[in-house]
Parts: sequence; C-alpha cells; structure tokens
Amino acid sequence: MALRLLLWLVIAGGLAAGFAWAPLVPVLGATTHVLYLHVPAAFVAFIALGWSMLHSVLYLARRDMRHDDHAAGAAELGILFCVVATISGSLWAKAQWGSYWNWDPRETSIFFVLLIYAAYLALRGALEDGPRRARLSALYSVLAFVTAPFLFFVVPRLYASLHPSPILPSREQGSMDPRIRVCFDAMLVGFTGLFFWMLNLRVRLGALARRHAEVELEPPDSAVAAAGRGTR
Amino acid sequence: MSAAAGALAVAADATRIEARALSHRYGPRVGLAPVVFAWQGPGVVAVTGANGAGKSTLLRILAGLLKPSHGELHLTRGGRALDAAQRRHAIGFASPELAFYPELSALENLSFAAAAAGAHHPAALARAALERVQLAARGHDRVAALSSGLVQRLRLAFALLHAPALVLLDEPGSHLDDEGRALLGGLVADAAGTALVVIATNDEREWRLARERVELRGRDVGPAA
Amino acid sequence: MSAWSSAGAMWALLRKEWVSEWRTRWGLHAALLFAVATLTAVSFAVGRLADRVDVLAALLWVVLLFAALSSLAHTFVRETEGRTLTLLRLVASPATIVFGKLLFNLLFLALLEVVIVPLALLLLGGPPPRWPALLGVLALGTLALASATTLLGALTAQARGRGALFAALALPLLMVVLAAGVSGVRAQWEGGAVAPALRLLGAFAAAMLGATLLLADHLWEE
Repeated sequence: MALRLLLWLVIAGGLAAGFAWAPLVPVLGATTHVLYLHVPAAFVAFIALGWSMLHSVLYLARRDMRHDDHAAGAAELGILFCVVATISGSLWAKAQWGSYWNWDPRETSIFFVLLIYAAYLALRGALEDGPRRARLSALYSVLAFVTAPFLFFVVPRLYASLHPSPILPSREQGSMDPRIRVCFDAMLVGFTGLFFWMLNLRVRLGALARRHAEVELEPPDSAVAAAGRGTR
Repeated sequence: MSAAAGALAVAADATRIEARALSHRYGPRVGLAPVVFAWQGPGVVAVTGANGAGKSTLLRILAGLLKPSHGELHLTRGGRALDAAQRRHAIGFASPELAFYPELSALENLSFAAAAAGAHHPAALARAALERVQLAARGHDRVAALSSGLVQRLRLAFALLHAPALVLLDEPGSHLDDEGRALLGGLVADAAGTALVVIATNDEREWRLARERVELRGRDVGPAA
Repeated sequence: MSAWSSAGAMWALLRKEWVSEWRTRWGLHAALLFAVATLTAVSFAVGRLADRVDVLAALLWVVLLFAALSSLAHTFVRETEGRTLTLLRLVASPATIVFGKLLFNLLFLALLEVVIVPLALLLLGGPPPRWPALLGVLALGTLALASATTLLGALTAQARGRGALFAALALPLLMVVLAAGVSGVRAQWEGGAVAPALRLLGAFAAAMLGATLLLADHLWEE
C-alpha cells in the first residue's frame, strides 16, 4: 500500500517538476516536456518485451503456467507503453524534424516492437486458453527474439550506409541539466515500477482464474482412482 | 487406484509399459484421471471404459502424440528405456482419427510412411502390409475413393507396417464388416505372438481378443450426475 | 536416428509434398495467380520505372513477399485440415517434418520466382541487372524467407484463422529480409557492393534455421 502510494507520488512529482521546475533543453524548446513521457514509456516498452521473451523461454523449459502469465501480462502492458511511446515520439518528430515518421533507426525499432506485440497478442487471441496457447505463443516469442538483434543492430547500420539518417539532436548529452536529470530518472523509476506493479496484479489474477476454472470443473471428491481390473 | 500387471517371464526384448499416476488435463478439463499399470508383451491388453473415460487419451499418450500433464510413463524394451526415435520405431498406432492423404493411393500412403520412418525398402513393406489386410487389389486406388471400411483396413495396415513391438489400436473394429472383423482377429493374434497389443474399445468382440481387460472409470466433465 | 536416415525421411517428405501438390495444384496455382495479379496491379498503377531502381527493388520484394505470405503456410494448413498430421508425427521426428517442409517451401518459392522475377523485370523495366549479384541476393533472400516462415506455418496451422494470422505473424519476422533484400537488389543495379546484404541474409537464415531446429520439438504435443 505504502509502496503504491510512493509510486504515484514519484510519477506525479516527476511530471509536475518536469513541467514547472526543470529548465527546457535549448535545442528542443517546449518539446522537452514530451520527453518526460516518451523516453520512460519507450524504455518500459523494451523492458516489457524482454521480460515477455524471457518468460517465454522459461515456459518452454519449465512448463509452468505462471511463466505464461508473466509473458502474456508483460506483452499486454508493453503494447500500452509502446503505443504511448510511438505516438508521443511521432508528435515530437513532427515538431523537431518536420514529419511524423522518418524510419530513422529508433522509429524502426519501436515499430518492430509494436508489430511483435500486436502479432503475439493476435496469436494468443486465436488460440484457446491453456497449455497449448502458452506453448505456441512462447514459440513465436522466441522466434521474434531471434530476429530482434538483426533489426536493432544490423539493419540500421546497413541503411545508414545507404542514406544518412536525419541528424538527431542527442538526447543523452553529458551536459544535461541536473534538474532535468532528476525529473527524468524519477519518471523512469516511476514508469518501471508502474509496469511491474500492474504485471504483478495480472499474474496473480491469472493464477486465480486458473484455480477458479479447476474448482468449477472438479467435483469435491475427485481424488478417485480410475483404473482397475475389469474382469472380476 | 489399483494396478493390473501382466506377470510374465521377462523375455530378452520384451516390451514393457509402466505408468505411475499418469493423468492428463485439457486445460482445466480432465482428459484422463490418474492411472497406474504395468503391462508387458507379448500379449493383448484391452482398455475399456465409458465414453469420455480417457481411452483415446491414454492411447495417444502411449503413442507419444500427447504429452501427459502429470505422472510418469516408462516405455522399455529388453529393460532399456526408449528415446523418442526408438519409440516411434517401436510403435504402431491406429485410431478413428488417423487420416491418410486422399490424393495419394493406399500404396503411396504406406510407402511414404515407411520411407519417412526410415525403412530400407518402403515399397515392398507397403505392399506386404496391404496384402496382410487384403487390400492389395485396391492398392493403386486413391484413398479418397476408398470406403470407410477399407480405410479402416488401411489404418490397420499402417499400424502393423513395420512389425512394431507395441501396437496401439483405438476402436480397431469400427466400420468393419464381418469379414473385416475376422481379419482383425487374425491380425491381432499374429501380432500378439511377438508384440504387446493394446486395444481400446467397448465392443465385446474386440476385448474378447485380449488376455486381460482394464477398465477406466475416470470422471467425466463436471460434477457427478 | 542417424543424420543419414533423417535425410532420407526429409527426401521422402519432399517427394510426398511434390506429388500431393502436383495432383491437387491449388496451392501453386493460387500463389502464381496471386503473384501475377499483384505484379500486374503494381505495374499498371505505377507504369515503367526504368530510372527509379530504388522503387523497383522495393516493388520486386514487396511482390515476392506477398506471394510468399499468401502461400507458404499451406503445406501445414493442409496437414491440419486433412488431419494427416497424426500420421506424419507417428513416422517422423518434428525436426525432420519441419525441415522436409522447408525444402518443399524452397522449391515452391523457386518456382514462383522463376515466373515472377523475369515478368517483373519485363513489366516494370529497369536497367539490365548484374545477374550473379541479383541471383545471389534472391537465392539467399529465399532461404531466409523460407527459414523464417516454415516453423511459423507449423505454428499458425494450429490456431484459428490460419492464413490471415500467418501473414500477420510473419511480417515482423521478415522485416530484416525485406530490408536486406531491397538494399541488395538496389545495390546490384547501382553498382554498389551486395556483400553486406548477402552477409545479413545468410546470417539471418542461419539464425532462423538454428532456432527452428531447437524449437521443433515443442511444436506438437497434443
């Protein structure tokens, strides 16, 4: 309870301070404010994808439905953060670069993440609840996981050699104003905490739903034996 | 929970199946309530039980088609555990759900199965299997053109194709006429000389072929009526 | 089972697929028609593009990609719908099945490309290609395409809405192939180096083949 309250305080405080207290980055002007939402959301979108893929692998190795809950929950929440990051980033790009979408490496990666999330959730939607859905969606997740390094690290380089990407105003300047840094870090911590808190709820809910389904189908004295000699 | 064990002398290459608290759930639904047994070949074992008791589920688990959600299953031959490839090689399986490629002939279906299983002379093996079920005359007909009774014979031919050590037959007499049933009796008796044959059925004519009968009395879906 | 008998089993599977396909033919016919229809629609809409090799390269790959997406799932869909997968699983290991299907998909794509690529060059125009470079990019691109999608086909065949789902799930996996394929085809026209694209396609195919081998055992459990 106290932790939850602290979480909301960190997010609200970080956001309020970001708008009212921290200065603007000279090049970015008023668009600085977008970044307090955008960067943490994008960060969490990637964390969530990694978390989902990690638990997909764990599910295949251990066959414990709790890993499936983690994988599914992280994807469901991740797509939320991913949409926030994509839209806020696109608005920012319009203000800074003059167009909503440029296919620069960052945009390509976030778009890829969005596609993976959408595909993963579409696959889950097409399968019935149970171990089979867990197994098949985990398989897809691992396939996507194998693809990711190529897209994140190799393709941008290949493309950069063909057409130079638009000049990025560096976001990770070493000379970032300490006040901006504080707000920024608060938002990062807040969003990450928010993600894991919601994920925890989702995982607990999944376990309860499974238990509920079992209890409904199971008569109370179900520990009966099944096989016996028929001819007697 | 009781066990039904075939206590025969252990032959050098005897096939043995042992299940400990083996059970399966389809999601929350019970497919097979826990069973315990140990069977040893050669010989015939019949598995009976009401619809939904888990006969087909048990056979699919034994065939390696379905991964059981709980319990242990040990498949050994001459005392050695079988890995997945050896298990595929040791098992012959036929069930009403087993379908063939309709655009291929009966012979082509069996030849393909034998070749994919790694047999050296798949075509010869396929022809011999068709003769065994008296289907050789229709061997070049496409499966799409065969009647359900003839397809059932093809299933039996498929199950016995590579002289498996463990033959799993799910309702082997379905769609068969009297002549077909007589044929089935002969095939089971032949196979039982060397192999462990497991028949899942509720038909008396079929479980009479077995030396031993095991009844599944697992609960079906929902509270007891 | 030894590698040798696996190879024999894959060969048997490839032959079976080929005979089935030849006798029914709907898969190949549909894919060819779809590809030609896409190609003519694109060609009709944009006209000749002799001087825009960047657009040309992209269009060529888009047509190839969509032809592949419309057809690559069908070998597994057919097994599921005909309920013949049980037979297959009883006689061959999952890896053998998947790699046998992969061989067939490669053959299928090769046939498709024999028709589409010359037709595309004819309809859309463009300078004469450097054939070795173009064929190299197409060959490795095809391998990458097939290795990324065969396991996926086996996976989506078990879900509802198979065909549409397959295309939706394949797209994110194939972004790499699309990017590298387009840049490779473009480079061979512009006189640039195709080696980076070839390396990327090759590495991607290798990674996908490895993943397929590792994951195949988890494909079917019921």
